[in-house]
Amino acid sequence: MRNPTLLAFVFVAPAMSVLLLILGWPLVSAIILSLQDVRSVGSPGAWIGLDNYAKLLADPSLWRATGMSIAWVAANAVLQTALAMIAALVLSQNFPGVRIARTWIILTWIVPTVVVVIIWRWLFSTSGGMINPLIVQSGLSARPIGFFSTPWMAFATLVFINSWRWFPFVTLMLLAGMTRIPGDLYEAARIDGASAWKRFSRITWPLLKPTLGVLSVVGTLLSFNVFDIIWLMTAGGPAGGTRTLPVLIYETAFKGYRLSEAATMSVIATVLLLTFALLTVRSLDRQEERE
Amino acid sequence: MTKTSLSILAFASMLLSSTAYAAPVEVTLWHMEQPPHRVARVQELIDAFNASHPEIVVKQEPQSWGEVYAKVPAALAAGAGPDMLFAIPDFAPILKKTGALTSVADFVAELDKKHKFIPSTVQSYSYDGGVWAIPLYNMSMNLWYRKSDLEKAGLKVPATWEEWEAAAKALSQGGAYGVGVPANKQLYTDQTVYSLMVNGGATEIYNEDGTLRFDNPETVGAFEFYTKLNKLSPPDSTSWTWGEAEACFVSKSCGMIMQFSVISTYDTQGGGEPSDLGVAAIPTEEAGAEANTIAYANAVMLLSKDDAKTKASQEFIAWLLEPENYGKFLNMEPGLFMPVTEDGAKAETFWNDPMVEKYKSQIETVIANSKNGRLFGFTSGRTFPSIAAISAQNLIAETLQDIVVAGTDAKGAVAQGQARMVEASK
Repeated sequence: MRNPTLLAFVFVAPAMSVLLLILGWPLVSAIILSLQDVRSVGSPGAWIGLDNYAKLLADPSLWRATGMSIAWVAANAVLQTALAMIAALVLSQNFPGVRIARTWIILTWIVPTVVVVIIWRWLFSTSGGMINPLIVQSGLSARPIGFFSTPWMAFATLVFINSWRWFPFVTLMLLAGMTRIPGDLYEAARIDGASAWKRFSRITWPLLKPTLGVLSVVGTLLSFNVFDIIWLMTAGGPAGGTRTLPVLIYETAFKGYRLSEAATMSVIATVLLLTFALLTVRSLDRQEERE
Repeated sequence: MTKTSLSILAFASMLLSSTAYAAPVEVTLWHMEQPPHRVARVQELIDAFNASHPEIVVKQEPQSWGEVYAKVPAALAAGAGPDMLFAIPDFAPILKKTGALTSVADFVAELDKKHKFIPSTVQSYSYDGGVWAIPLYNMSMNLWYRKSDLEKAGLKVPATWEEWEAAAKALSQGGAYGVGVPANKQLYTDQTVYSLMVNGGATEIYNEDGTLRFDNPETVGAFEFYTKLNKLSPPDSTSWTWGEAEACFVSKSCGMIMQFSVISTYDTQGGGEPSDLGVAAIPTEEAGAEANTIAYANAVMLLSKDDAKTKASQEFIAWLLEPENYGKFLNMEPGLFMPVTEDGAKAETFWNDPMVEKYKSQIETVIANSKNGRLFGFTSGRTFPSIAAISAQNLIAETLQDIVVAGTDAKGAVAQGQARMVEASK
């Protein structure tokens, strides 16, 4: 075949076909479902056009859940990046046992979600948990604290638990990024008398930006779609304080028996995430071109 | 073809057809009794049934209540659903609506002749001209306490709301909570709140014509009192399910809790002496009023459209309800599952279990309490399908969270709750 572009398409075609089948078909099914009025799985539904979109775009609960998801993504991004940066800086040093530490740090990431939930529910419990007695005995509070008792506390506690679970993944990504920074840059900085902070802010941070850029896209998509830990810990409560968009979608589909409305929300969420991903990737490309 | 080869072929085909005829009918049971000891007891019974009925093979597949509402319709749509499925009353209308259920009225009538069902347990599944499930066991909410705690505090067992609040306050000392009532948006909270509603004159949530009457002064009163109790409960009660409440009681962090049964946990987790465990009916608002409670008649639905599988399922259920098997089945969790048949209530297999013998007086009280059992949406003799959505979305519990967490006053929260129920019913 003489046309290289055509040849490329031929080679890529099998992979694209598989991708279309496993990614495209569910999306198309969701779009079709969103144009109908199906209540529960297996039941028939009439075609209603864009009615679901009109109804849901005017529904404050969708926007509240979207806002909650954005806050969830932002809070997780900040905490996970901070924890991961500290861990990566420590693990990038050479000290006895660093290899073991680099392996063991992924432990929280590989523990199944259900186990994570059981462990933390027990730790935070007021009846037999370990954290509350420590708080009371150390005098930090006269009474045990209900870590899931108010929307704000539940949200903060969930962010902490989710970040605890996911920061090793970010740490590994940052560590990989750090290994690409030439060692002689640090050597030269040391000879010039640069402090540790200067070395971090002038070398590590700027050269980690591409890694952080990729992480911002991957991390946002992963965080936005977190459902299991929230559902198992709080089921979106108390009083909707942790009801992110995936939780609202699940509730609508399987608690409220409004499958088509849930599909509509999923399509809206997909559009939002795709827009975000495209804009971020384009911005990263431009930045790379400038550099 | 020679005569010999023809004969061999004929013989082989006879063998094949007789083998096919003898192949046992395989039926699958989905239930939501997930704890390992319950699964093991169900398996024991299934093994005994399979051994005595070589023409049938029953298999169990435990499921979770959290997922089953979503999983079953999807499994049925994919043609991979179970042949038998355990149910609570508000689950059956969902499947009936999808056309998955056929009436089992004749089969229930046949079983009733033999075993005499408690009428309310059949009533929960009787509507639209059919009976949609076969009752299997009953569960009712009770008030659990330690007799020694009340004695030490000089209190009698609370029978009214006023006495209950006073007891909860008196037991709130030394870091312990006088009472533990949940405020999670979850089924357990629906159950405990409704247990107060039925004792405060707010039993019905539907009018005769099917419109909602949740928003009424009696409901508001029940929510106001529940909120008072919740203030005397641990701060993490907003995320409690049944297990946390039991843990709170058994660890002596909570003086009293509302629960179907705590016997198993109390006995195995070092809760105390059997004689110290107290159980009473849920207190009433007015002194001298008859105590009511929430009660769930758990049942089994038949989902197969294949006659042979339906007959095999019926055979298994009829066998299970025989007194010599039924007691063993109920005692998969001693003290939690109560009989739904007259002969089951007298079954030696039920009363001879060591745990039941140890907690006999408590279990007798639980059975007595269950006689005044009610279930929201199934109280008036008519069943409105919207109860499935109201129950699945835990709208009673959500109303409580509006008060306890969001700080809305009870009147406003109940009005909002009714609005949500109306929306869910559409």
